[in-house]
Amino acid sequence: MILVIAEHKDNKLKSITSELLVFAQRVGRDFGQPITAVAVGAGASVVAEDLRKSKIDRVIVAESSELGEYNPDAYVQILSAIIEKESPFLVLIGHTTQGMDFAPRLAVACRKPLIAGCVEYEKQGDRLILTRQIFNAKMNMKTAPKGEPAYFATSTPGAFPADELETGGSAELASFPVSFAGKPRRTVVERVEAPKGQTDLSSAPIIVSGGRGLKEKANFNLIFELAEALGASVGASRPVVDADWLPREYQIGSSGQTVSPRLYIAVGISGAIQHLVGMQNARCIVAINKDADAPIFKVAHYGIVDDLFKVVPALTRICKDLKQA
Amino acid sequence: MKIISCIKPVPDPASRLTINETKTWIKDQDLTFVASEADNYALEEALRLKERHQGEVAVVSMGGEEAARVLRSGLAMGADRAIHLLDAKFKGADEFAAAATLAKAIEKDGGADLVLTGVQSDDLGTGMTGTMLAEFLGWAHATVVVGVEADPDKKSVKVKRELEGGINETVELPLPAVLTIQFGINQPRYASLKGIMAAKKKEFKVWSAADLGLSDDAIGKSGAKYEVREILIPERKSKVEIISGTPDEAVATLVEKLRKEAKVL
Repeated sequence: MILVIAEHKDNKLKSITSELLVFAQRVGRDFGQPITAVAVGAGASVVAEDLRKSKIDRVIVAESSELGEYNPDAYVQILSAIIEKESPFLVLIGHTTQGMDFAPRLAVACRKPLIAGCVEYEKQGDRLILTRQIFNAKMNMKTAPKGEPAYFATSTPGAFPADELETGGSAELASFPVSFAGKPRRTVVERVEAPKGQTDLSSAPIIVSGGRGLKEKANFNLIFELAEALGASVGASRPVVDADWLPREYQIGSSGQTVSPRLYIAVGISGAIQHLVGMQNARCIVAINKDADAPIFKVAHYGIVDDLFKVVPALTRICKDLKQA
Repeated sequence: MKIISCIKPVPDPASRLTINETKTWIKDQDLTFVASEADNYALEEALRLKERHQGEVAVVSMGGEEAARVLRSGLAMGADRAIHLLDAKFKGADEFAAAATLAKAIEKDGGADLVLTGVQSDDLGTGMTGTMLAEFLGWAHATVVVGVEADPDKKSVKVKRELEGGINETVELPLPAVLTIQFGINQPRYASLKGIMAAKKKEFKVWSAADLGLSDDAIGKSGAKYEVREILIPERKSKVEIISGTPDEAVATLVEKLRKEAKVL
Protein backbone atom coordinates (compact mmCIF):
# COMPACT_ATOMS: atom_id res chain seq x y z
CA MET A 1 0.00 0.00 0.00
CA ILE A 2 1.04 3.54 -0.69
CA LEU A 3 0.03 6.10 1.92
CA VAL A 4 -0.33 9.68 0.77
CA ILE A 5 -0.34 12.21 3.60
CA ALA A 6 -2.61 15.00 2.41
CA GLU A 7 -1.53 18.57 3.09
CA HIS A 8 -4.49 20.84 3.69
CA LYS A 9 -5.39 24.18 5.17
CA ASP A 10 -8.70 25.93 5.81
CA ASN A 11 -10.71 22.93 4.55
CA LYS A 12 -8.85 22.91 1.23
CA LEU A 13 -6.22 20.58 -0.15
CA LYS A 14 -2.89 22.24 -0.95
CA SER A 15 -1.75 21.80 -4.55
CA ILE A 16 1.13 19.54 -3.46
CA THR A 17 -1.44 16.90 -2.47
CA SER A 18 -2.48 16.36 -6.11
CA GLU A 19 1.18 15.99 -7.04
CA LEU A 20 1.63 13.38 -4.31
CA LEU A 21 -1.41 11.51 -5.62
CA VAL A 22 0.04 11.52 -9.15
CA PHE A 23 3.34 10.19 -7.74
CA ALA A 24 1.36 7.51 -5.88
CA GLN A 25 -0.72 6.55 -8.93
CA ARG A 26 2.43 6.02 -10.99
CA VAL A 27 4.31 4.02 -8.34
CA GLY A 28 1.09 2.15 -7.57
CA ARG A 29 0.77 1.04 -11.18
CA ASP A 30 4.41 -0.04 -11.46
CA PHE A 31 4.51 -1.93 -8.18
CA GLY A 32 0.91 -3.17 -8.03
CA GLN A 33 0.19 -1.28 -4.82
CA PRO A 34 -3.17 0.18 -3.77
CA ILE A 35 -3.33 3.80 -2.66
CA THR A 36 -4.67 5.20 0.59
CA ALA A 37 -4.78 8.91 1.29
CA VAL A 38 -4.67 10.15 4.88
CA ALA A 39 -6.08 13.44 6.13
CA VAL A 40 -5.21 14.44 9.68
CA GLY A 41 -6.56 17.23 11.86
CA ALA A 42 -9.19 19.94 11.59
CA GLY A 43 -10.96 19.86 8.22
CA ALA A 44 -9.89 16.28 7.48
CA SER A 45 -13.40 15.02 6.75
CA VAL A 46 -14.04 17.97 4.41
CA VAL A 47 -10.91 17.45 2.32
CA ALA A 48 -11.53 13.69 2.36
CA GLU A 49 -14.41 14.29 -0.06
CA ASP A 50 -11.99 15.98 -2.47
CA LEU A 51 -9.47 13.17 -2.04
CA ARG A 52 -12.15 10.63 -2.94
CA LYS A 53 -12.56 12.25 -6.35
CA SER A 54 -9.17 10.98 -7.45
CA LYS A 55 -8.65 7.41 -8.53
CA ILE A 56 -7.41 5.85 -5.31
CA ASP A 57 -8.62 3.01 -3.13
CA ARG A 58 -9.20 4.44 0.30
CA VAL A 59 -9.22 7.61 2.36
CA ILE A 60 -8.47 7.59 6.07
CA VAL A 61 -9.75 10.49 8.14
CA ALA A 62 -8.04 11.15 11.47
CA GLU A 63 -9.98 13.91 13.10
CA SER A 64 -11.15 14.76 16.59
CA SER A 65 -12.38 17.84 18.42
CA GLU A 66 -9.20 18.21 20.51
CA LEU A 67 -7.07 18.00 17.38
CA GLY A 68 -6.79 21.41 15.78
CA GLU A 69 -4.62 22.48 12.91
CA TYR A 70 -1.21 21.09 12.06
CA ASN A 71 1.13 20.28 14.92
CA PRO A 72 4.28 18.12 14.59
CA ASP A 73 3.80 16.17 17.85
CA ALA A 74 0.22 15.25 16.99
CA TYR A 75 1.10 14.36 13.40
CA VAL A 76 4.00 12.13 14.40
CA GLN A 77 1.98 10.32 17.04
CA ILE A 78 -1.13 9.78 14.89
CA LEU A 79 0.71 8.90 11.69
CA SER A 80 3.03 6.46 13.51
CA ALA A 81 -0.07 4.64 14.76
CA ILE A 82 -1.63 4.57 11.28
CA ILE A 83 1.62 3.33 9.74
CA GLU A 84 1.96 0.62 12.33
CA LYS A 85 -1.56 -0.58 11.60
CA GLU A 86 -1.42 -0.33 7.82
CA SER A 87 2.19 -1.48 7.16
CA PRO A 88 2.53 0.57 3.98
CA PHE A 89 5.18 0.04 1.32
CA LEU A 90 5.67 3.75 0.69
CA VAL A 91 4.59 6.88 2.57
CA LEU A 92 4.48 10.07 0.45
CA ILE A 93 4.67 13.51 2.03
CA GLY A 94 5.10 16.95 0.45
CA HIS A 95 8.59 18.45 0.42
CA THR A 96 7.06 21.62 1.80
CA THR A 97 7.62 23.63 4.96
CA GLN A 98 4.95 21.61 6.70
CA GLY A 99 5.96 18.25 5.27
CA MET A 100 9.60 18.75 6.19
CA ASP A 101 8.58 19.84 9.67
CA PHE A 102 7.29 16.37 10.58
CA ALA A 103 8.55 13.84 7.98
CA PRO A 104 12.08 13.54 9.46
CA ARG A 105 10.67 13.05 12.98
CA LEU A 106 8.17 10.49 11.72
CA ALA A 107 10.84 8.48 9.86
CA VAL A 108 13.06 8.41 12.97
CA ALA A 109 10.09 7.49 15.18
CA CYS A 110 9.41 4.53 12.85
CA ARG A 111 13.17 3.85 12.36
CA LYS A 112 12.64 3.73 8.61
CA PRO A 113 14.34 5.41 5.62
CA LEU A 114 13.33 8.86 4.44
CA ILE A 115 14.36 10.08 1.02
CA ALA A 116 13.60 13.80 1.03
CA GLY A 117 13.18 16.05 -1.98
CA CYS A 118 12.35 13.38 -4.57
CA VAL A 119 11.89 14.41 -8.19
CA GLU A 120 11.70 11.02 -9.91
CA TYR A 121 11.57 7.32 -9.22
CA GLU A 122 12.26 4.14 -11.12
CA LYS A 123 11.74 0.43 -10.74
CA GLN A 124 14.92 -1.64 -10.83
CA GLY A 125 13.84 -5.26 -10.59
CA ASP A 126 11.59 -5.26 -7.58
CA ARG A 127 13.31 -2.32 -5.96
CA LEU A 128 12.11 1.22 -5.75
CA ILE A 129 14.82 3.72 -6.63
CA LEU A 130 14.11 7.29 -5.58
CA THR A 131 15.95 10.20 -7.17
CA ARG A 132 16.53 13.40 -5.28
CA GLN A 133 18.34 16.61 -6.10
CA ILE A 134 21.59 17.48 -4.34
CA PHE A 135 24.01 20.42 -4.47
CA ASN A 136 21.20 22.86 -5.14
CA ALA A 137 19.82 20.78 -8.02
CA LYS A 138 23.17 20.69 -9.82
CA MET A 139 23.23 16.91 -9.45
CA ASN A 140 20.76 14.10 -8.96
CA MET A 141 21.26 11.26 -6.52
CA LYS A 142 19.59 7.91 -7.11
CA THR A 143 18.97 6.15 -3.82
CA ALA A 144 17.72 2.75 -2.77
CA PRO A 145 16.04 2.71 0.64
CA LYS A 146 17.42 -0.10 2.80
CA GLY A 147 15.67 -2.74 4.89
CA GLU A 148 12.04 -3.69 5.01
CA PRO A 149 9.37 -1.08 4.13
CA ALA A 150 7.84 1.32 5.04
CA TYR A 151 9.88 3.79 3.00
CA PHE A 152 9.23 7.49 3.43
CA ALA A 153 9.66 10.01 0.63
CA THR A 154 8.98 13.72 0.34
CA SER A 155 8.21 15.00 -3.13
CA THR A 156 9.58 18.31 -4.41
CA PRO A 157 6.79 20.71 -5.43
CA GLY A 158 6.42 20.72 -9.21
CA ALA A 159 8.17 17.37 -9.71
CA PHE A 160 4.95 15.52 -10.57
CA PRO A 161 2.30 17.20 -12.75
CA ALA A 162 -0.86 17.83 -10.71
CA ASP A 163 -2.91 18.08 -13.90
CA GLU A 164 -2.23 14.43 -14.73
CA LEU A 165 -4.14 13.23 -11.68
CA GLU A 166 -6.50 10.42 -12.62
CA THR A 167 -9.95 11.01 -11.22
CA GLY A 168 -13.15 9.02 -11.07
CA GLY A 169 -12.38 6.61 -8.29
CA SER A 170 -14.77 5.35 -5.68
CA ALA A 171 -12.50 5.39 -2.69
CA GLU A 172 -13.72 3.77 0.45
CA LEU A 173 -13.88 6.11 3.43
CA ALA A 174 -12.46 5.03 6.76
CA SER A 175 -11.96 6.88 9.98
CA PHE A 176 -9.04 6.37 12.29
CA PRO A 177 -9.82 6.79 15.96
CA VAL A 178 -7.63 9.61 17.22
CA SER A 179 -6.39 9.50 20.75
CA PHE A 180 -3.74 12.13 20.99
CA ALA A 181 -2.12 11.69 24.37
CA GLY A 182 -1.01 14.88 26.02
CA LYS A 183 -0.62 18.44 24.84
CA PRO A 184 1.51 19.31 21.83
CA ARG A 185 4.74 20.89 23.03
CA ARG A 186 4.79 23.49 20.31
CA THR A 187 2.01 26.05 20.37
CA VAL A 188 1.24 28.73 17.82
CA VAL A 189 1.28 32.24 19.29
CA GLU A 190 0.45 34.20 16.18
CA ARG A 191 0.57 34.09 12.43
CA VAL A 192 1.20 37.19 10.38
CA GLU A 193 -0.03 36.98 6.83
CA ALA A 194 1.24 39.16 4.07
CA PRO A 195 -1.37 41.26 2.22
CA LYS A 196 -3.86 39.03 0.43
CA GLY A 197 -3.69 38.40 -3.28
CA GLN A 198 0.05 38.94 -3.50
CA THR A 199 1.20 35.97 -1.58
CA ASP A 200 0.55 32.45 -2.71
CA LEU A 201 2.38 32.14 -6.00
CA SER A 202 2.37 28.35 -5.80
CA SER A 203 -0.79 28.10 -7.86
CA ALA A 204 -0.28 31.14 -10.13
CA PRO A 205 -0.60 30.14 -13.81
CA ILE A 206 1.62 32.97 -15.09
CA ILE A 207 4.39 34.76 -13.20
CA VAL A 208 6.48 37.73 -14.29
CA SER A 209 9.54 37.97 -12.10
CA GLY A 210 12.12 40.75 -11.84
CA GLY A 211 15.71 40.81 -10.64
CA ARG A 212 18.69 43.01 -10.03
CA GLY A 213 18.87 43.89 -13.73
CA LEU A 214 16.06 46.39 -13.16
CA LYS A 215 18.67 48.54 -11.40
CA GLU A 216 16.33 50.42 -9.06
CA LYS A 217 13.04 50.13 -7.23
CA ALA A 218 11.10 52.56 -9.47
CA ASN A 219 11.87 50.44 -12.53
CA PHE A 220 9.95 47.54 -11.04
CA ASN A 221 6.86 49.22 -12.48
CA LEU A 222 7.86 47.66 -15.79
CA ILE A 223 7.28 44.26 -14.21
CA PHE A 224 3.92 45.24 -12.73
CA GLU A 225 2.77 46.66 -16.07
CA LEU A 226 3.74 43.53 -17.98
CA ALA A 227 2.09 41.35 -15.33
CA GLU A 228 -1.10 43.35 -15.59
CA ALA A 229 -1.15 43.07 -19.37
CA LEU A 230 -0.78 39.29 -19.05
CA GLY A 231 -3.07 38.85 -16.06
CA ALA A 232 -0.02 37.42 -14.30
CA SER A 233 1.30 37.43 -10.74
CA VAL A 234 4.52 39.20 -9.81
CA GLY A 235 7.59 37.58 -8.30
CA ALA A 236 11.15 38.62 -7.54
CA SER A 237 14.61 37.25 -6.94
CA ARG A 238 16.28 37.49 -3.56
CA PRO A 239 18.44 40.61 -4.24
CA VAL A 240 15.29 42.59 -5.03
CA VAL A 241 13.78 41.64 -1.70
CA ASP A 242 17.03 42.14 0.23
CA ALA A 243 17.25 45.65 -1.26
CA ASP A 244 13.69 46.33 0.00
CA TRP A 245 12.26 47.01 -3.45
CA LEU A 246 9.52 44.50 -2.64
CA PRO A 247 8.34 42.69 0.50
CA ARG A 248 9.65 39.22 1.29
CA GLU A 249 6.48 37.44 0.15
CA TYR A 250 7.38 38.09 -3.49
CA GLN A 251 10.60 36.14 -3.26
CA ILE A 252 10.94 33.05 -5.43
CA GLY A 253 13.71 30.56 -4.76
CA SER A 254 15.17 28.27 -2.16
CA SER A 255 14.44 30.63 0.71
CA GLY A 256 11.24 32.00 -0.81
CA GLN A 257 8.43 30.37 -2.69
CA THR A 258 8.66 27.40 -5.01
CA VAL A 259 6.48 27.89 -8.06
CA SER A 260 5.49 25.83 -11.07
CA PRO A 261 3.40 28.08 -13.32
CA ARG A 262 2.47 27.44 -16.92
CA LEU A 263 4.58 30.43 -17.96
CA TYR A 264 7.43 32.10 -16.08
CA ILE A 265 9.00 35.25 -17.45
CA ALA A 266 12.33 36.12 -15.80
CA VAL A 267 13.36 39.70 -16.39
CA GLY A 268 16.84 40.88 -15.45
CA ILE A 269 17.40 37.76 -13.34
CA SER A 270 20.81 36.17 -13.79
CA GLY A 271 19.61 32.87 -12.36
CA ALA A 272 21.54 32.09 -9.20
CA ILE A 273 20.92 28.46 -8.31
CA GLN A 274 18.90 29.54 -5.27
CA HIS A 275 16.47 31.19 -7.66
CA LEU A 276 16.46 28.37 -10.20
CA VAL A 277 15.44 25.74 -7.66
CA GLY A 278 12.31 27.77 -6.99
CA MET A 279 11.12 28.08 -10.59
CA GLN A 280 12.78 25.55 -12.87
CA ASN A 281 9.74 23.31 -12.89
CA ALA A 282 7.68 25.94 -14.70
CA ARG A 283 6.25 24.47 -17.89
CA CYS A 284 7.58 27.30 -20.06
CA ILE A 285 10.34 29.70 -19.04
CA VAL A 286 11.18 32.92 -20.87
CA ALA A 287 14.35 34.81 -19.96
CA ILE A 288 15.02 38.42 -20.84
CA ASN A 289 18.57 39.44 -20.01
CA LYS A 290 21.35 41.31 -21.75
CA ASP A 291 24.00 38.85 -20.57
CA ALA A 292 23.94 35.84 -22.92
CA ASP A 293 25.99 33.81 -20.41
CA ALA A 294 23.53 34.30 -17.55
CA PRO A 295 22.68 30.88 -16.04
CA ILE A 296 18.96 31.64 -16.38
CA PHE A 297 19.32 30.74 -20.09
CA LYS A 298 20.28 27.20 -19.09
CA VAL A 299 16.78 26.54 -17.80
CA ALA A 300 14.88 28.85 -20.15
CA HIS A 301 12.94 27.63 -23.18
CA TYR A 302 12.92 30.98 -24.96
CA GLY A 303 15.38 33.78 -24.48
CA ILE A 304 15.80 37.36 -25.61
CA VAL A 305 19.34 38.66 -25.18
CA ASP A 306 18.84 42.40 -25.15
CA ASP A 307 18.25 45.45 -22.98
CA LEU A 308 15.23 44.73 -20.80
CA PHE A 309 14.35 48.44 -20.74
CA LYS A 310 13.59 48.14 -24.46
CA VAL A 311 12.22 44.61 -24.58
CA VAL A 312 9.80 44.69 -21.64
CA PRO A 313 7.81 47.81 -22.72
CA ALA A 314 7.53 46.31 -26.22
CA LEU A 315 6.28 43.03 -24.77
CA THR A 316 3.79 44.86 -22.55
CA ARG A 317 2.42 46.74 -25.57
CA ILE A 318 1.91 43.60 -27.62
CA CYS A 319 0.25 41.79 -24.70
CA LYS A 320 -2.12 44.72 -24.13
CA ASP A 321 -3.08 44.65 -27.81
CA LEU A 322 -3.71 40.93 -27.58
CA LYS A 323 -5.90 41.37 -24.54
CA GLN A 324 -8.05 43.92 -26.36
CA ALA A 325 -8.28 41.83 -29.51
CA MET B 1 22.06 29.02 28.62
CA LYS B 2 23.98 26.22 27.06
CA ILE B 3 23.75 26.23 23.29
CA ILE B 4 25.19 23.67 20.90
CA SER B 5 25.62 24.72 17.31
CA CYS B 6 26.05 21.96 14.71
CA ILE B 7 28.26 22.67 11.71
CA LYS B 8 28.50 20.61 8.56
CA PRO B 9 31.63 20.95 6.42
CA VAL B 10 30.76 21.28 2.72
CA PRO B 11 32.83 22.03 -0.38
CA ASP B 12 33.52 25.72 -0.83
CA PRO B 13 30.64 26.99 -3.01
CA ALA B 14 33.19 28.36 -5.47
CA SER B 15 34.60 24.88 -6.18
CA ARG B 16 33.99 23.03 -9.39
CA LEU B 17 32.37 19.75 -8.44
CA THR B 18 32.94 16.55 -10.38
CA ILE B 19 31.49 13.09 -9.80
CA ASN B 20 33.83 10.31 -8.58
CA GLU B 21 34.63 7.08 -10.49
CA THR B 22 32.09 4.94 -8.69
CA LYS B 23 29.45 7.66 -9.22
CA THR B 24 28.54 7.56 -5.55
CA TRP B 25 29.76 11.00 -4.47
CA ILE B 26 31.83 13.90 -5.68
CA LYS B 27 35.61 13.86 -5.93
CA ASP B 28 36.33 15.50 -2.62
CA GLN B 29 40.06 14.91 -2.13
CA ASP B 30 41.32 18.24 -3.37
CA LEU B 31 38.43 20.47 -2.36
CA THR B 32 38.47 23.19 0.26
CA PHE B 33 35.76 22.74 2.87
CA VAL B 34 33.87 25.49 4.65
CA ALA B 35 30.90 25.60 7.01
CA SER B 36 27.60 25.07 5.21
CA GLU B 37 26.11 28.55 4.73
CA ALA B 38 22.98 28.10 6.86
CA ASP B 39 25.11 26.71 9.72
CA ASN B 40 26.91 30.06 9.87
CA TYR B 41 23.60 31.78 10.51
CA ALA B 42 22.88 29.20 13.21
CA LEU B 43 26.20 29.81 14.93
CA GLU B 44 25.76 33.59 14.76
CA GLU B 45 22.32 33.21 16.36
CA ALA B 46 23.83 31.01 19.09
CA LEU B 47 26.50 33.64 19.81
CA ARG B 48 23.87 36.39 20.02
CA LEU B 49 21.74 34.31 22.41
CA LYS B 50 24.78 33.82 24.62
CA GLU B 51 25.49 37.56 24.57
CA ARG B 52 21.93 38.20 25.76
CA HIS B 53 21.53 35.38 28.28
CA GLN B 54 25.07 34.38 29.31
CA GLY B 55 26.13 30.76 29.27
CA GLU B 56 28.20 29.05 26.62
CA VAL B 57 28.23 28.02 22.99
CA ALA B 58 29.77 24.72 21.92
CA VAL B 59 30.24 23.80 18.27
CA VAL B 60 30.06 20.20 17.08
CA SER B 61 30.96 18.71 13.74
CA MET B 62 31.45 15.22 12.30
CA GLY B 63 34.12 14.33 9.76
CA GLY B 64 37.84 14.34 9.15
CA GLU B 65 40.22 17.31 8.86
CA GLU B 66 37.45 19.30 7.10
CA ALA B 67 35.34 19.11 10.27
CA ALA B 68 38.28 20.24 12.43
CA ARG B 69 38.68 23.19 10.07
CA VAL B 70 35.06 24.40 10.36
CA LEU B 71 35.22 23.90 14.13
CA ARG B 72 38.33 26.09 14.36
CA SER B 73 36.49 28.77 12.35
CA GLY B 74 33.57 28.46 14.73
CA LEU B 75 35.86 28.97 17.72
CA ALA B 76 37.43 31.97 15.98
CA MET B 77 33.95 33.45 15.47
CA GLY B 78 33.40 33.21 19.23
CA ALA B 79 32.23 29.73 20.23
CA ASP B 80 33.65 28.66 23.61
CA ARG B 81 34.59 25.09 22.81
CA ALA B 82 34.47 22.46 20.11
CA ILE B 83 33.59 18.78 19.84
CA HIS B 84 35.02 16.92 16.88
CA LEU B 85 33.33 13.61 16.06
CA LEU B 86 36.18 11.85 14.34
CA ASP B 87 36.18 8.20 13.35
CA ALA B 88 36.66 6.40 10.04
CA LYS B 89 33.50 4.49 10.95
CA PHE B 90 31.42 7.68 10.71
CA LYS B 91 32.14 7.90 7.00
CA GLY B 92 29.26 7.34 4.61
CA ALA B 93 26.59 8.41 7.10
CA ASP B 94 23.27 9.61 5.74
CA GLU B 95 21.10 12.14 7.56
CA PHE B 96 19.65 9.42 9.80
CA ALA B 97 23.04 8.09 10.93
CA ALA B 98 24.41 11.62 11.29
CA ALA B 99 21.49 12.69 13.48
CA ALA B 100 21.84 9.53 15.62
CA THR B 101 25.55 10.25 16.10
CA LEU B 102 25.02 13.94 16.90
CA ALA B 103 22.30 13.04 19.41
CA LYS B 104 24.68 10.71 21.26
CA ALA B 105 27.37 13.37 21.33
CA ILE B 106 24.95 15.96 22.70
CA GLU B 107 23.80 13.53 25.37
CA LYS B 108 27.39 12.68 26.29
CA ASP B 109 28.11 16.39 26.61
CA GLY B 110 25.33 16.63 29.19
CA GLY B 111 22.58 17.91 26.91
CA ALA B 112 21.88 21.59 26.24
CA ASP B 113 19.12 24.18 26.40
CA LEU B 114 19.16 24.76 22.68
CA VAL B 115 20.67 22.96 19.71
CA LEU B 116 20.86 25.01 16.53
CA THR B 117 21.47 23.74 13.00
CA GLY B 118 21.18 25.36 9.59
CA VAL B 119 17.83 24.87 7.87
CA GLN B 120 19.56 22.77 5.21
CA SER B 121 23.05 21.95 4.06
CA ASP B 122 24.67 23.12 0.84
CA ASP B 123 25.40 19.55 -0.29
CA LEU B 124 22.49 17.16 0.38
CA GLY B 125 20.28 20.15 1.04
CA THR B 126 17.18 18.35 2.22
CA GLY B 127 16.83 19.80 5.71
CA MET B 128 16.39 16.47 7.47
CA THR B 129 19.19 16.24 10.01
CA GLY B 130 18.11 18.91 12.51
CA THR B 131 14.57 17.60 12.77
CA MET B 132 15.75 13.98 12.98
CA LEU B 133 18.12 15.05 15.75
CA ALA B 134 15.17 16.47 17.71
CA GLU B 135 13.38 13.12 17.50
CA PHE B 136 16.47 11.15 18.58
CA LEU B 137 16.86 13.51 21.55
CA GLY B 138 13.12 13.49 22.25
CA TRP B 139 13.03 17.31 22.26
CA ALA B 140 10.61 19.81 20.75
CA HIS B 141 11.75 21.50 17.56
CA ALA B 142 10.99 24.26 15.10
CA THR B 143 12.12 24.51 11.47
CA VAL B 144 12.86 27.48 9.17
CA VAL B 145 13.46 29.86 12.08
CA VAL B 146 13.87 33.58 11.32
CA GLY B 147 13.75 34.94 14.88
CA VAL B 148 14.58 33.58 18.36
CA GLU B 149 13.50 34.98 21.71
CA ALA B 150 14.58 32.78 24.58
CA ASP B 151 13.29 32.93 28.13
CA PRO B 152 15.73 30.75 30.09
CA ASP B 153 13.93 31.36 33.43
CA LYS B 154 10.65 30.11 32.04
CA LYS B 155 12.52 27.34 30.23
CA SER B 156 10.87 28.31 26.96
CA VAL B 157 11.66 29.89 23.65
CA LYS B 158 9.53 31.84 21.21
CA VAL B 159 10.57 31.51 17.62
CA LYS B 160 9.39 33.03 14.40
CA ARG B 161 9.13 30.59 11.49
CA GLU B 162 9.01 31.45 7.81
CA LEU B 163 6.16 29.61 6.12
CA GLU B 164 5.29 29.51 2.44
CA GLY B 165 3.62 32.47 0.86
CA GLY B 166 5.26 35.14 3.00
CA ILE B 167 3.55 34.04 6.19
CA ASN B 168 5.45 34.19 9.45
CA GLU B 169 4.35 32.07 12.35
CA THR B 170 5.41 32.62 15.95
CA VAL B 171 5.48 29.45 18.04
CA GLU B 172 6.42 28.79 21.63
CA LEU B 173 8.22 25.66 22.70
CA PRO B 174 9.72 24.32 25.89
CA LEU B 175 13.48 24.01 26.35
CA PRO B 176 15.43 21.99 25.56
CA ALA B 177 14.68 22.36 21.87
CA VAL B 178 16.24 22.01 18.43
CA LEU B 179 15.89 24.92 16.00
CA THR B 180 16.79 24.84 12.31
CA ILE B 181 17.85 28.34 11.32
CA GLN B 182 16.88 29.98 8.04
CA PHE B 183 19.27 31.91 5.79
CA GLY B 184 19.28 35.65 6.40
CA ILE B 185 18.13 35.60 10.07
CA ASN B 186 21.18 37.72 10.94
CA GLN B 187 24.49 38.90 9.52
CA PRO B 188 27.10 36.35 10.58
CA ARG B 189 30.22 38.00 11.99
CA TYR B 190 33.68 37.45 10.60
CA ALA B 191 36.37 36.04 12.82
CA SER B 192 38.69 38.75 14.06
CA LEU B 193 42.45 38.26 14.29
CA LYS B 194 42.03 38.31 18.06
CA GLY B 195 39.34 35.65 17.73
CA ILE B 196 41.60 33.47 15.62
CA MET B 197 44.41 33.75 18.18
CA ALA B 198 42.04 33.08 21.09
CA ALA B 199 40.60 30.01 19.33
CA LYS B 200 43.92 28.21 19.67
CA LYS B 201 43.59 28.13 23.46
CA LYS B 202 39.99 26.94 23.57
CA GLU B 203 38.88 23.43 24.53
CA PHE B 204 38.80 21.07 21.54
CA LYS B 205 37.49 17.57 22.31
CA VAL B 206 37.77 14.68 19.89
CA TRP B 207 35.31 11.82 20.30
CA SER B 208 35.25 8.49 18.44
CA ALA B 209 32.39 6.05 17.93
CA ALA B 210 33.63 4.08 20.96
CA ASP B 211 33.60 7.27 23.08
CA LEU B 212 29.95 7.72 22.16
CA GLY B 213 29.13 4.07 22.88
CA LEU B 214 27.61 3.65 19.44
CA SER B 215 27.55 0.25 17.77
CA ASP B 216 28.97 -0.06 14.27
CA ASP B 217 25.60 -0.78 12.69
CA ALA B 218 24.19 2.54 13.93
CA ILE B 219 26.80 4.79 12.35
CA GLY B 220 28.38 5.68 9.03
CA LYS B 221 27.49 3.68 5.97
CA SER B 222 26.02 0.74 7.94
CA GLY B 223 23.80 3.08 9.93
CA ALA B 224 22.55 4.81 6.79
CA LYS B 225 18.96 4.07 5.81
CA TYR B 226 19.57 4.27 2.08
CA GLU B 227 22.25 3.30 -0.41
CA VAL B 228 23.50 5.76 -2.96
CA ARG B 229 23.09 4.04 -6.33
CA GLU B 230 24.29 6.74 -8.66
CA ILE B 231 25.06 10.44 -8.81
CA LEU B 232 24.51 12.10 -12.13
CA ILE B 233 24.18 15.49 -13.75
CA PRO B 234 20.51 15.89 -14.66
CA GLU B 235 19.77 16.43 -18.30
CA ARG B 236 18.16 19.74 -18.92
CA LYS B 237 14.86 19.04 -20.54
CA SER B 238 15.00 22.18 -22.62
CA LYS B 239 17.50 23.84 -24.87
CA VAL B 240 16.95 27.54 -24.97
CA GLU B 241 15.84 29.09 -28.21
CA ILE B 242 17.28 32.58 -28.45
CA ILE B 243 14.99 34.91 -30.33
CA SER B 244 16.81 37.62 -32.28
CA GLY B 245 15.77 40.83 -33.95
CA THR B 246 14.93 44.31 -32.76
CA PRO B 247 13.03 44.43 -29.47
CA ASP B 248 9.74 44.83 -31.34
CA GLU B 249 10.46 41.96 -33.71
CA ALA B 250 11.73 39.73 -30.92
CA VAL B 251 8.70 40.16 -28.67
CA ALA B 252 6.33 39.62 -31.62
CA THR B 253 8.09 36.32 -32.43
CA LEU B 254 8.12 35.40 -28.75
CA VAL B 255 4.39 35.95 -28.29
CA GLU B 256 3.69 33.96 -31.46
CA LYS B 257 5.78 31.06 -30.15
CA LEU B 258 4.22 31.19 -26.70
CA ARG B 259 0.77 30.94 -28.31
CA LYS B 260 1.33 28.47 -31.14
CA GLU B 261 4.32 26.39 -30.08
CA ALA B 262 4.35 26.31 -26.28
CA LYS B 263 0.59 26.94 -26.06
CA VAL B 264 0.92 28.78 -22.78
CA LEU B 265 -0.68 32.10 -23.73
